[in-house]
Amino acid sequence: MPLNIDWKQILLHIFNFVLLFAILFFLLYNPIKKFMDKRVQYYKDMDEDTKRRSSEADEMKEAYEQKLAQVDEEIAAKRKEAEEQEEKRRAEVEERTAEEVRSILDTARADAEAEKRKIIDSAQTEIVGLVTEACQKAISTNPSDAMDGFLKQANEDKND
Amino acid sequence: MTKKTKKVILITFACILAALLVATIVVPSVEKEESIQETMKDAVLHESNKVSLFGMEVNPGLISAFVITGILFVVALIIRIFVIPKFTIIPGKFQAMLEKLVGLFTGIAETNSPHRPNVLSAYIFVAAVYIFFSTLFEMFGIQAVTTNGTPVSLPAPLSDINGAIAMGGMTYLFILSGGIIANKARGAVNSLKDFSLPISMSFRLFGAMLSGLLVTELVYYVQALSYVLPLIVGVLFTLLHAFIQSYVLITLASIFYGEVTEPHVKKPKKGKNK
Repeated sequence: MPLNIDWKQILLHIFNFVLLFAILFFLLYNPIKKFMDKRVQYYKDMDEDTKRRSSEADEMKEAYEQKLAQVDEEIAAKRKEAEEQEEKRRAEVEERTAEEVRSILDTARADAEAEKRKIIDSAQTEIVGLVTEACQKAISTNPSDAMDGFLKQANEDKND
Repeated sequence: MTKKTKKVILITFACILAALLVATIVVPSVEKEESIQETMKDAVLHESNKVSLFGMEVNPGLISAFVITGILFVVALIIRIFVIPKFTIIPGKFQAMLEKLVGLFTGIAETNSPHRPNVLSAYIFVAAVYIFFSTLFEMFGIQAVTTNGTPVSLPAPLSDINGAIAMGGMTYLFILSGGIIANKARGAVNSLKDFSLPISMSFRLFGAMLSGLLVTELVYYVQALSYVLPLIVGVLFTLLHAFIQSYVLITLASIFYGEVTEPHVKKPKKGKNK
């Protein structure tokens, strides 16, 4: 062959290179590449984990904010309810008080009326008694004696 | 270390260098058995200096290839056993360097062939490591004995035309197989359209590696040029073209692989305007 080209030696060179390929691939390239891929996966997992945790934290925050908003609403509703109940209770107390006042006044008015009627009745009875007595006296005694007695009484009052 | 000790060491070192320099000039060289033409022709064709491999006469480049595979196997095994199991999420310097190396080829593969980057990245990783270290290998000047009984310094495997053809052809076959797997017949046709690719790849690699080898041979052939100059020619140029050749081959392989594995998208038919 020209230029000393020898197919046998070419094949031996190819054999040598294939052997070297196998050696370097299995002993160096592949383990290093695997390690590098593992590291990439490690950081990728870490990144995904961080993102997942961040997303969970966001969801949790949102849930808490929703709960807080709900609690605020509940507090407002309870306050409103309490105010309504208080208003109702106050109205009832006022009504009851007014009722009591009215009842006391009625009782007092009735008592006063009864007292008045009793006094009038007693006065009428007394007047009737006095008149009756005066009439009996007038009938039983001499009118001049009565006049004398009256005059005598008048003089005594004058001397005093 | 005190200043005085440093000075003593420096002077001693300078004396040894001077003695060696004088010795290289004074001691007579062995008569060269071959002319520069023969040396360079042999560097290109390896016709005379053959090495025995299990009784088979082969070029020294093939021996270099097996030696490099052996060295890389031992290094890879040591790294696999002692370093990789101790890898941590936050890497140390050596781990970072290894990861950077793998990441570099993965990145090139993903850029040029986004649809099928996995096999490509592994291939260009191994090809680049092989080209880079096999080019650097020639710097060490490891000796082998030829079948003639003379010593020969083992060259870069890819400066042997058989090694370069193997590398170029294999890369082309890799691209072709990627095209067939990804796009069936269309991928095969796309790959076969670039039929000149294996030849261009092989000879580009061979030419580039050989030019470095020839310049080095030339420099070492003349004794006077053997001082200081090899530092630039032998080390810096070798380092530079080890890097460049690795880069060129993996870039070409990635681009062509990306082209043939790209999924075919049918163009929408234009509606007839009546």
